[in-house]
Amino acid sequence: MTEQRSFPLTDRKADQIIALGAVGEIRVDSFMAQSICLSRQLPKHQYVINLCADRFQFLLGFCAALIAGQCTLMPPNRQSQTLERLRMVYPDSYSLGHSGENDYEMIPGDVLHMEPGSVDTQVPEIPANQLCAIAFTSGSTGASMPNVKYWETLREGSLSNAKLLMSDVVGRVNLLATVPPQHMWGFETSILLPLFFDAAICHLSPFYAQDIADALQSMPSPRVLISSPVHLDALLKSGVRPANIDRIFTATAPLSKQLAQALEARFEARVLDIFGCTESGILAIRDTSREELWTLAEAFELEVRKDEVVIRAQHLPEDVALPDLIELVGDGRFRWLGRHQDMINIAGKRGSLTDVNNRLKAIPGVTDGVIFMRYGSINRLAAMVVAPGLKPSDILRELKSQIEPVFLPRPLYLLDKLPRQETGKLSTKAVAELFEEIRNSRAARDTR
Amino acid sequence: MQGQTEQEAQLAGLIVESLNLEDINPGDIDPEEALFGDGLGLDSIDALELALAITQKYGVQLKADDNDVQEVFSTLRSLNAFVEKNSS
Repeated sequence: MTEQRSFPLTDRKADQIIALGAVGEIRVDSFMAQSICLSRQLPKHQYVINLCADRFQFLLGFCAALIAGQCTLMPPNRQSQTLERLRMVYPDSYSLGHSGENDYEMIPGDVLHMEPGSVDTQVPEIPANQLCAIAFTSGSTGASMPNVKYWETLREGSLSNAKLLMSDVVGRVNLLATVPPQHMWGFETSILLPLFFDAAICHLSPFYAQDIADALQSMPSPRVLISSPVHLDALLKSGVRPANIDRIFTATAPLSKQLAQALEARFEARVLDIFGCTESGILAIRDTSREELWTLAEAFELEVRKDEVVIRAQHLPEDVALPDLIELVGDGRFRWLGRHQDMINIAGKRGSLTDVNNRLKAIPGVTDGVIFMRYGSINRLAAMVVAPGLKPSDILRELKSQIEPVFLPRPLYLLDKLPRQETGKLSTKAVAELFEEIRNSRAARDTR
Repeated sequence: MQGQTEQEAQLAGLIVESLNLEDINPGDIDPEEALFGDGLGLDSIDALELALAITQKYGVQLKADDNDVQEVFSTLRSLNAFVEKNSS
């Protein structure tokens, strides 16, 4: 008889606090009881699309699904098109939300508001090879690429994360995340970490600076903020003064040294930059204010190839190839040199510049065009297009139905001709120069 | 299309300027049209940038009640109402 390996749903002790919910501090043992209770009430399907924006509800829904043997689908966004496509590919599914709209299942009030308190509950065991979740990346063709997560992978990954992120921490930390729990960065930190490390996750998912400050105010210290450069930049510029933050973890886009230092100075918090991807989870950490080199988590091995790096770990079901250029420096340290030219990353969404350009040129009426990355305080794409008879809004509408919203070029300039060389090539320099020229002439022309 | 009030027109101008919506005339933004997703098609990055521009110009900090980020922003009219209500 073969023994099925399994791991408990949580490593934590019964009386520790796992969440700062709307009802107050929630103990691990009452949370287990809630999860078991909910697992018995979930609709019987193979897959659940967990759309809860409330972090505690997402966590509860996720754990209940695990106990019920259901796989959680984590869509890359909430657009109706995305969700429809997901339901088509995974027909044996239901949506779990909390806004009560459409056909969402909502977590029953009596489960949600179960009295926290001491409960004698056994921690459920989850089989190591149980399919727990499927995360989706924005694939280069615009269609989401599924990435399967087994319990063993999530557990080992979380233990690795706890070691990498919190090894110097003593006592319980209180986490606040601005990133959606459906995104791998938010999922690993705000959902999985509290199952394996002495951390309590705040149920709030604040967006605006004032909301972030209010949420931090409601939490005990030490406070840990999990966010991204775009959000942190907005927080800094807003001028709000939140309660004392112990450390800030940031991921999804490169953090500039300047922003890291400004954040440290303003909030007197340690700022730690995280490098990872949906396929492998968190890989490395860097003290960006002070260092250029990344420190790789011990569980992983990197192999540098021509235009990519291959990531290996015992707990990953397969090797992962990333279109990133890195230089190994020894001792588990590396330098990140950039991304392969074609790959773009905006607001945590990956895409292919080539693909976006191909789509532009395939639009009826477009005879030539180029979409390129515009660097500024917020990175965006811009476009210059030759399309006699079309308006910018016509082209954008066409693109909108095919690509992620954050990849829509802005602005989109119409012109007679692109500065192609005789060979037909378009140099980055010529594109940048022409773009600036048009921009400046428009600025000069506009009178207010 | 419904007409814009003077305050709404000013806010429309701020939206176009701060978000680089160069092919849009502020006067063309329907006060009852969706700003996010459909309609004007703004995304979450825009929400942050616009929130900052509003703070800088009107001294108002945007807040989202109810975990619904897009509530305050749903239309030019609702956004303006929020700003007016919270300006001193």
